[in-house]
Amino acid sequence: MHEMMIATELLSQLDDLAAEHGLSRITHVSVAAGELRGIVPEALDMAFAEASHGTAAEGATLELEIVPTRARCRQCGQVFQPTVDSFLCPGCNLADVEFLAGHDIVLSRIDGDS
Amino acid sequence: MKINVVKRVLEANDAVAASNRTLMSDAGVLCVNITSAPGSGKTTLLVRAIPALAEAQLASAVIVGDLQTTRDAERIGATGAPVTQINTEGGCHLSATQVTHALHGLDLAETAIVFIENVGNMVCPAGFDLGEHKRVAVLSTPEGDDKVAKYPTLFQPADAILLNKIDLAGPLDFDRRTFYDDLKAINSRSPMMELSARTGEGVDAWVDWLVAAHTQHAQTAGA
Repeated sequence: MHEMMIATELLSQLDDLAAEHGLSRITHVSVAAGELRGIVPEALDMAFAEASHGTAAEGATLELEIVPTRARCRQCGQVFQPTVDSFLCPGCNLADVEFLAGHDIVLSRIDGDS
Repeated sequence: MKINVVKRVLEANDAVAASNRTLMSDAGVLCVNITSAPGSGKTTLLVRAIPALAEAQLASAVIVGDLQTTRDAERIGATGAPVTQINTEGGCHLSATQVTHALHGLDLAETAIVFIENVGNMVCPAGFDLGEHKRVAVLSTPEGDDKVAKYPTLFQPADAILLNKIDLAGPLDFDRRTFYDDLKAINSRSPMMELSARTGEGVDAWVDWLVAAHTQHAQTAGA
């Protein structure tokens, strides 16, 4: 249930953003999360709803986009899309990668009422 | 009103983790975060390694995370190493801030290696930077030979992988070929060590890896 900490951190940022932009409440939140983060959408929804009571984002809808993984091979430099059970580089057949996408959780958009 | 933002959701945790890392690097301390399922032998591996590291003049301190009890801290404390138990009371992983609080209770000037024994869980701890320099993933043979493929996010970022309880591999029909084939596809970069914390077999290699990691870290950190 690592979704709870993600929801808590997200809600803290949303409170800051509401204050920064003079929003009385936030109605919609868009988040893009890398597939490697293993976020279960239903679990994040539940954690967000639970933790949002009394915050600027109470009652907001949460949209979660899962971003596919992209990696660069540290051995030969090839950029490729690993699968869930294989990080093998198609160029050199080694699994030694740095991530270009699919590893982050990013708050990308909010809708709110001023 | 629509507002486009690009904000990393875990930036607060990551910033605290970076500051933990700097604090330890400045003190010449290597931090090793150990992750695995519950019961794979993290505590016993530490109880084995700490006296051997002390013989190599490397003093250890341990931060240990569990949902409840101080049992692991008591076992590790018996080695003489300073240990701080964090009870997450339901939390399935440690956060960087919890590690910061624990670090304040340690004398880093008298410490060479800080071990973080994470909460036993194959999923949640993988995504949270605590400020470690090295991450170690442990699998024990009773968990099954298919776990690397099933939980790749635990093994992919690991700087070393330990296969523990190899004394049970035979009776439990642990298939090394499956394990090694899966690992090769997930992480071919990091060393893999087979050992048994119970019998002591292979523990030397684990200790040697820690000593080498500390030496390399001390050179890099300029300590």
